[in-house]
Amino acid sequence: MKFVSIHDLLTSYVKEGRIKLDKSIHHHLATYHDPCNYARKSERAFGHGYYEEPRWVTQQCCENYVEMYPNRANNFCCGAGGGAWAAPYSEERIFYGRTKAKQIKDTGAKLLIAPCHNCRDQIMKSLRKEYDFEDVEVKYLWELVADSLIIEPREEAEE
Amino acid sequence: MEPLLLTKREKRKLASTYADLCLTCGTCSGGCPVTGVDGLDVRKVVRLALLGLDQEVIDSKFPWVCTLCARCEHACPMNIDLMTLLRSARANRARDKVPGVLHKGVEMCLKSGNNVGIPKDDFIFLLEDLGLELGEELPGFEVPVDKKGAKYLFTINSKEPFAEPEDMFYWWRILYAANESWTVPSENWEGVNWGLFTGDDEAMKEILARLVKNYKDLECEYLVLPE
Repeated sequence: MKFVSIHDLLTSYVKEGRIKLDKSIHHHLATYHDPCNYARKSERAFGHGYYEEPRWVTQQCCENYVEMYPNRANNFCCGAGGGAWAAPYSEERIFYGRTKAKQIKDTGAKLLIAPCHNCRDQIMKSLRKEYDFEDVEVKYLWELVADSLIIEPREEAEE
Repeated sequence: MEPLLLTKREKRKLASTYADLCLTCGTCSGGCPVTGVDGLDVRKVVRLALLGLDQEVIDSKFPWVCTLCARCEHACPMNIDLMTLLRSARANRARDKVPGVLHKGVEMCLKSGNNVGIPKDDFIFLLEDLGLELGEELPGFEVPVDKKGAKYLFTINSKEPFAEPEDMFYWWRILYAANESWTVPSENWEGVNWGLFTGDDEAMKEILARLVKNYKDLECEYLVLPE
């Protein structure tokens, strides 16, 4: 049985020229959030943390990029991991997210890329409002790629 | 509190292979954003486990407020398997005491093939409908459901068909642009395995086994690991 992660898939599409991306669409300063599962937990469980691939993909779409600090294996969780987004402890979840909110605000970025449903929901739907940074746009990594695509519609005859 | 007789204490319920190596340095708690919430922190959880006060940890809110982010484990100088310890505290909860909707989601997934109970017919109808909508912009696009021999088998986060269906367009656009060979199963397509969060290994294995069955039945080359 063979597996592929979405990071490998997106990276290969760009490297092999199978998709073309327009960097002029997202001109604001962008930053990237390392989700625990694809970053340090993947490194521990599978011997490879997906740190560089999503950063590279992000920077294929965004000219202006800045890192949060700390990042990669030392990154802070968004506060909603491990099922906390679906758990009833919302006060604790928001309190947890204060470190993430500060990290994001400190970068000055106006676009945050989160390659995880859970992190994206916590940051976009909760932390932005609670910690007053609704001027920061939040996108999935694949949303950023999809919104940057230069699509040449297929000829129907090719089908 | 009655003194515990260490010679007579029960077999430890919480799993943690190396917890007795703890140096009590507190590095774990120092870097954790929820240290102190519910009167606990990771270091205290390790101490409680070592003292045989397993049930106090299991009954506390802390293992559920902790997001299993593993920052503590990453920093631990003794390399203690703190995630195994904290997740086992979740696993030891009676299933009807699992907070919120998590266990209900697991049960629903075992019953219906996805965490929110979307019936097969509704799912297929939704994908067809959305496929037509996107096809207006991208000529020839349709959602390939149960397509045998596709290269990539994709799962779907049930949150999307349930509440944010148009968010599925992002991946569909990319796959269209790359002219990819891919498919989605019509049943057991859930990409979110909540057994991971509730500490329910058996449910987790069963949910994964159904995905593997789809992968084999549909003769795909790769299973795509989502977010």
